[in-house]
Amino acid sequence: MMVLHGWREVKRQVRESGAAGVAAVLMVAVATAWGGLLWSVHGWVYRELLGHSQSSTVVVVLRSPAAGTTLTAALQARPDGRRWTLSQPRQVQAELAGWFPELASVLLALDEPSFPALLKIDVTPSDSAGLASWLAARPEVAVVKSSTQWQERLDRTFRRAVAVGFVLAAALLGGCFVVVLLVVRLLVLDHADEIAIMRLIGARERDIRLPYVALGLALGATGSLLGVLALVGIELALKASFPALVLGTAMLTILPLGGAVAGAGGAALGLLAIPKEP
Amino acid sequence: MIRLEGVLKSYHGRLALRGISTRVERSEFVFLTGPSGAGKSTFLRLLYRAELPDDGRIVVDGYDLAALPRRQVPLFRRRLGVIFQDFKLLRRRTVGENISFVLSLLDLSEKEQQRRTYLTLKQMGLHNRMSALPDELSGGEQQRVAIARALVLQPDLILADEPSGNLDPERGHELMELLKSINYQGTTVVVATHDRSLIEAHPDRTLVLERGHLVRDAWGA
Repeated sequence: MMVLHGWREVKRQVRESGAAGVAAVLMVAVATAWGGLLWSVHGWVYRELLGHSQSSTVVVVLRSPAAGTTLTAALQARPDGRRWTLSQPRQVQAELAGWFPELASVLLALDEPSFPALLKIDVTPSDSAGLASWLAARPEVAVVKSSTQWQERLDRTFRRAVAVGFVLAAALLGGCFVVVLLVVRLLVLDHADEIAIMRLIGARERDIRLPYVALGLALGATGSLLGVLALVGIELALKASFPALVLGTAMLTILPLGGAVAGAGGAALGLLAIPKEP
Repeated sequence: MIRLEGVLKSYHGRLALRGISTRVERSEFVFLTGPSGAGKSTFLRLLYRAELPDDGRIVVDGYDLAALPRRQVPLFRRRLGVIFQDFKLLRRRTVGENISFVLSLLDLSEKEQQRRTYLTLKQMGLHNRMSALPDELSGGEQQRVAIARALVLQPDLILADEPSGNLDPERGHELMELLKSINYQGTTVVVATHDRSLIEAHPDRTLVLERGHLVRDAWGA
């Protein structure tokens, strides 16, 4: 059957692809590992830090300790029933001293009125902006800050970093595409006589072209599998520090396909170098 | 089996064949001869559709070659056995693979390919060189591999372009005997050669080409 001949031919061509073939495999391996790692980190950040299921905190600095009672009463009247913690100046003083032990003696020596009363309210990120505006309009409130603001900044920065990372991974895959294209082009030119003979003895175009496409596919798929193995190694190494960093089944399926498609695509384009028959 | 009607072929404005018309019947043995540059190789290349004529009509084994769609060309070529002067063996494949590659195009089982490859190479006395690469063989052995490849599909028509060109006279005559014996079994054979001694030793219908013209169609040299 043609399959066996084709398989032998693919093995021959893998051997002949030499250093350029190894370079293509390494490029796909790095692109796969890098892309997979980014994908995992991206998932982890959105799941653990920026996810919409995570709560936000709105911190309110009150104009006076007594204002806390009025404000919490007003908050209670709101229908969405949020959880809050009211900290009196004494508690704020103690908390700050706990955060900064080296300044504790100075902080604890200050008068109680030097510290404001604080109200910390847990809200869902979607309610955060509405609640902050309502609080800012209240006469009892001096300052309102919401954690959503830094979450949004982190989100923007992280999105940019991920986009750059994915562009880099895509560039590596593109590089593999180009390397495979050039390898196949060189092999086709080197095998021009042989291809002509194969045609003369009755080989169909698919009998001639398929081994080259299979070569590209093999280089891409081998690189991707190496990349996935590296990714699994990285996950195992980081498991203790980042238990939430997981490799999804979808990712482990799609990544090898990406490499294989890039390799086969490059080979298909490289085959344009085959001269046409009259 | 073969019909040419007013076939004209030129390369870069220089006419290689000028209005050739002839017929070759099934089971015939035909020599095609003439001096170098007479158009013998072009004639054969047109018959296995490596070239298309500029004008005229060529029908081989029922296939009108000018009208043959490109995707049907491989199917047509598998009905022919072509023996090239320069052998045209696949250099990166072993002797066995050169033969079994042709069989693999018919989607035969691996076992059947191996069986037919062995039998054909045994017929050529090359069964003990199956694993050798073509470059490890002598010119005569390479020629025999090329013949084995042409015969393995048991074609209806064999086209041979200067098949004895790289062989010593004794081997050349042996090859002609082999082609004659294949012809006796009903296969049409067309042999292009400039070697008159071969035609004299194995007289048969002879087409003589000169400067692209068919100048003679007669028996013997």
